[in-house]
Amino acid sequence: MDFSLNEEQAKLQKEAREFLEKECPESFVREMEDGDKGFSPELWNKMAEMGWLGLVYPEKYNGKGGSFADLSVVYEEMGRAMLPSPHLSTVVLCGLTILEAGTKEQKADLLSKIVAGDLILSLALTEPESSFDGKAWEAEGVNVRATPDGDDYIIDGTKLFVHDAHIADYLLCVTKTRDSANPEDDITLFLVDASDPGVSCEILETTAGDKQSEVNFNKIRVAKENIVGELHKGWPPLEKVMQKGAVLLCSEMVGAGQRVLEITVDYAKTRIQFDMPIGINQYIQDHCAFLLSEVDAARWLTGQAVWKISEGQPCDMEAAMAKAWTSDSHERACWRGHQVLAGVGYTVDKGVLPLYSRRAKTKQLYLGDSAYHLEKAARQIEKWPGPEKFRGKAVGLWDIPKEEQIPYWEPWKKRWEEKEGKK
Amino acid sequence: MEFGFTEEQEKLRKDVRDFFMNEMPEDFEPGVETMFSLTKEQTEFWMTFQKKTGEKGYLTPGWSEETGGLGLGPIEQGIVEEEWGRTGGRWPNFSGLHIAGPAVQVFGTEEQKKKFLPGIAKGEAVWNQAFTEPEAGSDEANQQLRAVEDGDNYVLNGQKTFITTYVKPDYLYTLARTADTEPKHRGISLFLVPGDAPGVSYRALGSMGFGTQVDIFYDNVKVPKENLLGELNRGFYHAMSAFEFERSGTGGPASAKRSLEEFVEFCKETMRNGKPLMEDPEVRRSVAQMAIDIEVQRLIAWHAVWWFSEREKLGPKPYDLSGFFTKIFSTQHPETMMNIMGLYGQLRTGSKWAKFAGKVERRWQIARSVHPAGTLEVNKIVLAGRGLGLPRVPAKFNKQIAKALGEKK
Ligand SMILES: Cc1cc2nc3c(=O)[nH]c(=O)nc-3n(C[C@H](O)[C@H](O)[C@H](O)COP(=O)(O)OP(=O)(O)OC[C@H]3O[C@@H](n4cnc5c(N)ncnc54)[C@H](O)[C@@H]3O)c2cc1C
Repeated sequence: MDFSLNEEQAKLQKEAREFLEKECPESFVREMEDGDKGFSPELWNKMAEMGWLGLVYPEKYNGKGGSFADLSVVYEEMGRAMLPSPHLSTVVLCGLTILEAGTKEQKADLLSKIVAGDLILSLALTEPESSFDGKAWEAEGVNVRATPDGDDYIIDGTKLFVHDAHIADYLLCVTKTRDSANPEDDITLFLVDASDPGVSCEILETTAGDKQSEVNFNKIRVAKENIVGELHKGWPPLEKVMQKGAVLLCSEMVGAGQRVLEITVDYAKTRIQFDMPIGINQYIQDHCAFLLSEVDAARWLTGQAVWKISEGQPCDMEAAMAKAWTSDSHERACWRGHQVLAGVGYTVDKGVLPLYSRRAKTKQLYLGDSAYHLEKAARQIEKWPGPEKFRGKAVGLWDIPKEEQIPYWEPWKKRWEEKEGKK
Repeated sequence: MEFGFTEEQEKLRKDVRDFFMNEMPEDFEPGVETMFSLTKEQTEFWMTFQKKTGEKGYLTPGWSEETGGLGLGPIEQGIVEEEWGRTGGRWPNFSGLHIAGPAVQVFGTEEQKKKFLPGIAKGEAVWNQAFTEPEAGSDEANQQLRAVEDGDNYVLNGQKTFITTYVKPDYLYTLARTADTEPKHRGISLFLVPGDAPGVSYRALGSMGFGTQVDIFYDNVKVPKENLLGELNRGFYHAMSAFEFERSGTGGPASAKRSLEEFVEFCKETMRNGKPLMEDPEVRRSVAQMAIDIEVQRLIAWHAVWWFSEREKLGPKPYDLSGFFTKIFSTQHPETMMNIMGLYGQLRTGSKWAKFAGKVERRWQIARSVHPAGTLEVNKIVLAGRGLGLPRVPAKFNKQIAKALGEKK
């Protein structure tokens, strides 16, 4: 048991923080939010130079062969700096799925390009209807079809809330390719060239001003070589990778939450009202104490899930717990921040909190909100064995009738009464 | 980060669990009975049980072998406590193990250690923490119970209240005023008072569900000078820093987890509208949320244990959220469970219709006592002040208020 970062991770953290303080100040975050692209290709290249795009890929694809825990350290810093980048889409959701399920050729071709910063990918999973039915992140929610046509497939349909689609070179499109009893056995992943004339993409206006799109696949033709993994077998690897993505979102929220805590406490100490720092008031202290608790709990829940993934241990319960808790707790943490920062917490030009707060909402909903992950946890809880029964001998003490039971300290009571009586 | 345990630690866990499982009465329902409702025989059973545990060294695994422990570290201590919590065994000497014993370890003289510690480690002695007074609850520095020097003794006069005790205590770990100072906490000392010293008397206070609280009266109680713990007039500081020692807090979440497992069984077996409760989406979410809350408590507790095990490197922990979360969740969970159980939720131990012997109802009542070791409000103030460095109301305001109150009188 050791809750600290190891030496290399501490170094990685320091490097990442310094890098992002320089490259991704608040002004940059605002600029990206207002721009069309929502990210900076120059910064993307610098991230490639830092090795962040291949951090967890094997060395044969020019990756660094690092652990998932290393990646989580970087994500915490990215959350702290609110870094806008297609890292999660490209490196994690699409890249790791290719690493997990792709053919030899696909891996050789795509992964080193990702590591070099030459390729941006985007996962096209969620759909208009399923996103409303609460099935956005389930195989059951996939209705966009890929229909065989000779050696090719025809994909037709709409995907919604697709992150980074507008800048992607390829979309990893999740499709339904048959109707069996179990929807998880019907899913096929296609790598779709984003420049195909049949693919259209429209950026959505969102709370966080991040770049999510509606993507339309208008009867496009995709060769079967573009299937990632096997026909009908796309769901298991994708689900595994989405779990990692959800945990990395938690890491981001932990980093962001820590920053919100710092901003809030700092303000509570320095803002003067009624001739005193507002932090002297217990209501304000209450907000700060709760904020601290939200961030701390999220940190250890996330840390545990990260550790399990890193060690290759099963972690369905831990990942679900981390995302279920962190989604809402980060949101609550920002809310506490707003109570303390009042005007400065609301006005966008003066304060940085609105930026965090709006991003908190996106991360809460992305890759499964708390209701979704609570359900995942409940499925694990159903598998719990009942609590073990004691194997000792019955000592018979517990059968004594109630009226015969006397509190052991009755005699003292008597003594007290006698004493009182005497007085 | 590394959340796992070593092989030896896992082995210890298994040994401890086996020991408890074998010693525990077969028909024992953890969490049902309280010390308050025990028969004399039952009380004796738990005292014997405590002694047996002491013989194995499992009461004080973190203490050195000379003082009756196993010489293991805080992590091992946390493991043992987790297993205690899980099985629901009773420790009549809770305060001695967790509060007074560690304080003697740190602030005691060699003689005091020799005299008091083995009794605690072997499970023979029972100690109470006697701090709270009618006018000194959250404001622990406002001690009114007086200790006046008299030759080789101190003479104690005053009252303590809300003191938890299951059986007649052998010793009272007592805070008393030894000087009238400003600020108040600089004139307080710690005494180790024999529970049957002439002049000590007890009065029972009935309480909701939990156990036994008593008033303790000190009427010219003579305490020999060698029973002063630590420095004269430094008792408040000693007591506060002793709170930081050896209180791993891993037992609470372990016992909560067990209760939840029982509740899940209930939800799987009980039908409502033709379907098991566990299939109701509302119930599923509540159960999952409780499991996560307990996991939060568990991790926070282990973080504190780990920090303590590294204290030479890390120094004292600036804040501890264990109490904070425990106070919140131990109130919420029984409430949630009772609501799910509907009308059955209100049934007490003893009713033939009660589910798992009325445990949930009992926990609901116990949840009205989240005040020991500082109220939730005081916890938050400590987190804000010590944990986050937020300012406190300057002492001069307290003085002004005190003065104003004085003038009113
Ligand atoms: C089941 C149980 C077991 C106990 N066992 C023991 C024991 O073994 N030994 C022992 O010594 N004591 C014991 N106590 C006493 C316990 O420590 C006190 O009840 C507790 O410290 C609170 O004191 P009080 O009840 O006098 O409340 P008060 O201090 O009068 O507080 C009343 C309310 O005012 C709030 N408050 C007080 N001061 C402030 C402040 N500065 N800012 C904001 N809010 C404030 C409190 O949070 C609370 O809500 C036990 C109590 C219970 C309920």
